[in-house]
Amino acid sequence: MAFNVLIVDDSSTMRSVIKKIIKVSGFDVGTFLEAGDGVEALEVLQQDWVDLVLSDINMPNMNGLELIGKMGEDDMLKSIPVVMVTTEGSGEKIEKSKALGAAGYIKKPFLPEDIKMTLCNIMGEEIKDGPTDDDEPETGDF
Amino acid sequence: MDQQMMTSLKQAISSVLETMFFLPVQIVEGNNLREDWSQQDSGIWHVRVQFSGPVNGSFFLLVPAGLAREITANFLGLDEADVGSGQESDTVKEALNMIGGYALSQVEKADEYQISIPEIARAGQKDLVSMQLEPHNTISIETDENILAVGLHLD
Repeated sequence: MAFNVLIVDDSSTMRSVIKKIIKVSGFDVGTFLEAGDGVEALEVLQQDWVDLVLSDINMPNMNGLELIGKMGEDDMLKSIPVVMVTTEGSGEKIEKSKALGAAGYIKKPFLPEDIKMTLCNIMGEEIKDGPTDDDEPETGDF
Repeated sequence: MDQQMMTSLKQAISSVLETMFFLPVQIVEGNNLREDWSQQDSGIWHVRVQFSGPVNGSFFLLVPAGLAREITANFLGLDEADVGSGQESDTVKEALNMIGGYALSQVEKADEYQISIPEIARAGQKDLVSMQLEPHNTISIETDENILAVGLHLD
């Protein structure tokens, strides 16, 4: 099944890289949508069908935690899984995102297999080509 | 704290530059950066990201423009000729954001740290003179043919 994925990050370069890595990972994507912050993300979510949101935490205007909070207040949006893609060292922010309803997190730096494992677990997809080493990736679903 | 933070910073540099930027990294001691960069006519990107928590301070990254172009091409999977200046600045900001976030995740009381949005400027030779680029707070990193530096200033 192909999923429509919304990538939210204030860096257009980082959005491109995340798209590239998801493509390389083999995770099945129908359409990529993009937003530069939480405010833009809510606009996209009102206009387009989105199956999954990948969001940075640290962004201007509306950060990733505020975005999850707003989505949780909306009956149409609260069921869409949100995965935090973050450089934050802070476990506190990851815990906060979980409490607000985030489905999982991916810590930068990350490898394509980290992304695929997390996204497939969250979307209930079978992982056909998993990581080959024994290292636990710095990612997870909640 | 200074020493612990510098050790975390070294781990972060290797992990981020090798994993995300496909850059072979060798940390070197005792470089004279101002001399090494004296021929960098196209300038040097200077990125800074502040952090607050049990200790306050900032991380900085200095990358010669030519190397920034190579890093950006690796990061985006583009030819160097197709890399724009906006992509270069975005990429070096993201590099320091990742390095700083990773370094802070390795120190004591990591949960209590907050990191700001990175700021960027072009640094010339004069700017380098005014910066405190000392071995105790600056890590020089040798790549194939270039040198970049990552450092720490505590408030």
